[in-house]
Amino acid sequence: MISVDTNNINVILATDCGSTTTKAILIEKIDGHYRQTFRGEAPTTVEEPAADVTMGVVNAVTEVGELANRRLIDDNGNIIRPATDGEGCDIYISTSSAGGGLQMMVAGVVREMTAASAKRAALGAGAIVMDVIASNDKRLPHEQIQRIRELRPDMILISGGTDGGTTTHVVKIAELVAPAKPQPRFGGEYRMPVIYAGNQDAAPLVERTFDDSIDLSVVPNLRPVLERENLGPARDRIHDLFLEHVMAHAPGYEKLMEWTDAPIMPTPGAVGNILQTIAEQQNINAVGVDIGGATTDVFSVFDKTFNRTVSANLGMSYSISNVCAEATMPTILQWVHLEMDERELRNRVKNKMIRPTTIPQTLEALIFEQAVAREALRLAYIQHKEFATTLQGVQQQRTVGDTFSQQTGGQTIVDNMALDLLVASGGVLSHAPRMQQTAAMLIDAFEPEGITTLAKDSIFMMPHLGVLAQVHKQAALEVFEKDCLIYLGTCVAPRGQGKPGKPCFQFSLEGDGINEQGNITVGDLRCIPFASGVRAKLRVEPARGFDMGAGPGTAVEREVKGGEVGVVLDGRGRPLQLPENREQCRKSIEQWVQALGLYPD
Amino acid sequence: MERTQELLMVLCVICLLPISAVGQEVDTDAGEAGDPASLRAPTEISAEDHPWDGGEEIELTFSLSPDDPKDLTSDDLVTYVVSRAGEYGGLYSEVALVVPTAEDYEQGHIVYTVQNSERGEPYFFRVQATTLDGRTSPYAETTEAVYSTREWFAGHRTWLAIVTALISGAVITFILLARAGIQLKIRKIAGLEAVSEAVGRATEMGRSCLFVPGVQDMKDIQTIAAITILARVARTAAEYEARVEVPTARSLVMTAARETIEGSYLSAGRPDAYNEDLIYYVTDEQFGYVAYLSGMMVREKPAACFYMGSFFAESLILAETGNSIGAIQIAGTAQPAQLPFFVAACDYTLIGEELFAASAYLSGSSEELGSLKGQDFGKLIVAVGIIVGCLIATYHELVNNGFFG
Repeated sequence: MISVDTNNINVILATDCGSTTTKAILIEKIDGHYRQTFRGEAPTTVEEPAADVTMGVVNAVTEVGELANRRLIDDNGNIIRPATDGEGCDIYISTSSAGGGLQMMVAGVVREMTAASAKRAALGAGAIVMDVIASNDKRLPHEQIQRIRELRPDMILISGGTDGGTTTHVVKIAELVAPAKPQPRFGGEYRMPVIYAGNQDAAPLVERTFDDSIDLSVVPNLRPVLERENLGPARDRIHDLFLEHVMAHAPGYEKLMEWTDAPIMPTPGAVGNILQTIAEQQNINAVGVDIGGATTDVFSVFDKTFNRTVSANLGMSYSISNVCAEATMPTILQWVHLEMDERELRNRVKNKMIRPTTIPQTLEALIFEQAVAREALRLAYIQHKEFATTLQGVQQQRTVGDTFSQQTGGQTIVDNMALDLLVASGGVLSHAPRMQQTAAMLIDAFEPEGITTLAKDSIFMMPHLGVLAQVHKQAALEVFEKDCLIYLGTCVAPRGQGKPGKPCFQFSLEGDGINEQGNITVGDLRCIPFASGVRAKLRVEPARGFDMGAGPGTAVEREVKGGEVGVVLDGRGRPLQLPENREQCRKSIEQWVQALGLYPD
Repeated sequence: MERTQELLMVLCVICLLPISAVGQEVDTDAGEAGDPASLRAPTEISAEDHPWDGGEEIELTFSLSPDDPKDLTSDDLVTYVVSRAGEYGGLYSEVALVVPTAEDYEQGHIVYTVQNSERGEPYFFRVQATTLDGRTSPYAETTEAVYSTREWFAGHRTWLAIVTALISGAVITFILLARAGIQLKIRKIAGLEAVSEAVGRATEMGRSCLFVPGVQDMKDIQTIAAITILARVARTAAEYEARVEVPTARSLVMTAARETIEGSYLSAGRPDAYNEDLIYYVTDEQFGYVAYLSGMMVREKPAACFYMGSFFAESLILAETGNSIGAIQIAGTAQPAQLPFFVAACDYTLIGEELFAASAYLSGSSEELGSLKGQDFGKLIVAVGIIVGCLIATYHELVNNGFFG
């Protein structure tokens, strides 16, 4: 990280070089507060014929400059620094996911232990994990070698064994990688970067296993003891190698690296970074989701533990058929309140497969797309819950009271009741015509429990702010709070189930210009408009059998934020169960659509 | 003089004749009505074989004495002495003193089941009414022999038959359902789920897994269950390329364990990794065995310890030693006294029947899963029976004590 005098920073320029477009934003200090002011976008130019990522950056920055009436690029095509009146910026930062981002392969001894830690380290650093090699992955050595050969990752992370633990297994893994001689994706002449973050006793043996074709880096063990993870050194090394090897060999990145005042970060790593910063700063548990065309990223911070998963085959364009296959058509159809049969749904999926980048042109197409999005998000969240777990292989401390409640290690740490903030980003969520639609998709897919604030990333600014947080935390937090997030409102949903029509909870909402109270019955969904920026005191008294986080039937009080949608009072119960009968289900969904005003009549 | 004696004999015989002739009748003339000093005998008596029994019971029915005040609180409470003999007029022995119940008073007669009869032997009965102040009635007696016989079904065990039919039916039904491909849900047993976690820990730490199959021989069902679990542990260890060490206290257990582990390594596709020297006999002596295990655990510090089978005093010694060396410990025993020690000192414990259920849980075979489910159904019936019984008994007690006013 560079050292910057944060007091003298008034103009910040940030870009995110995506696979398709390069997005630039301008952050300026106005009346002592940092605000995002202008945004520009241009096609990414990493591929031929331009084959220089900086061209796209210059185009996007030029657009921002024109909008801001500020000259940011000089005559030589370089970014002007430092900022003077009407010209240049104080710092320039960038993230990148162009060319498929950072693709890694990880290996460990036991799939659920050191291999899982290695995967967490790689995902946390913003990588896409192509495969996990482990002693117990039920593949024979020749199959594992074949797989490593085929993958062509940008780098490999090897872990395994606690310090002083097994050396045999670790050396065996190294002996699988060495003969496979994996070839890097970019740059035929450079050596494959391999990070070793395993048992330190085995490091010399591992070093001896590899020849000159491998660029081996040894970092501290990411699982020095099974009770603790130490992912930091491995993540830092991944970032360094990303810049040294992957970025340096991608077209134009050498120049881009010279321009930036902070190391270029992989886009998902930057998103994770800002979410972690916010959760830490506000002492909250947060979940972020970015649903794309091919993949869906889920980020979570629970009790200061950060986790990220990439659901590689869950997306809204290229992966839509996979979403439909995994979720099944009848399940997707459950979310459609119109008369639409399975055949029609299939036709829509096929059309989308043929033209993946089209956006809905009719109301029916929008409803269908949002139904698929609900299932894609739900499946991605399930995968995230399965991955974000407590450590396995840890000795448990028991008392006789635990006789009938013994739980194994590896339980999920994702707790919807403890969730405070749910942030949405990605086309289908960010560009939904009505804010209510985004809120409804989030509520239906994630099923937040208790009281949860819902927000969306206005212009997919989180990556920029993630890298900015490393340079100027205050600026990143201010912009995140004021310009990045659009608060949708608050979801109030007790855990528990009951018969439709029976009491679910009582509520009262008192604050500036608002005074509402009433009862919500099981199956009801109600929205109370509640302006953004306003706060009010919410008291919820759940009925017997329902829990708002303080125990069944116990009332809770909390200060809640308003938003574009307002307060959504959800009496549908958790876990959310839709009626099995199609007609009943359709009626229920229609009732909820009306309650939230999701679509025009 | 002789003539007078003969006359008296004839008179006596004449007096006794009506009883023996009628058979099961009573000398009702004995004792005068309204005479406070005398007590009249029960007027009717009959005996017959008790139906639907194993041939040990005879049912005796006799009427109450006409002088019975029919009041349990009366000072003149009349009780009935039942005697039995192998031949009529033979040597009668007292078999019961029957105190009438309110129900008997209402019905006017008593039905008493005489126990401990020998099948096929003739029996004659007589009943005498007595009072607390020592007044007795003449005997009412049976004159025809009654034989107890054995029926093909013991009627008093009808409920047992129903319950057996229900449980057996449930077992068969569940087996058929499992065979038909219907998924039978069995709750997760944390101790078995944690096997891979424990073996994984040993693998990562480069240490061995210790498996202790109890201190009993192969005839003990707990040891057999332990060997079933050993198969799973060994298979997991083979997949993870970890080491499993099994010291035994019985030579037969060692042999069984060797065969089991060899099979597991073979099924995991790693027969080359099997090492029979890691499964060995230590001693039959309980504490000699425990001393060896404790010493070995402290020296070699296995990362995962499994205690499955029958354990006694050594349970806490082993579990505490394992805990002190930082091993993940999984225990399982059906010895109720040892369970608290295991629960407190081990990471996971298979409690009682979980140890036996492990076999079905691990194999997933339809027969075993079906019988496990059927047994659960049986336990449910027992549990419901206990609860309902308790409620009825409580209600009855409260009613008798005037709780409800």
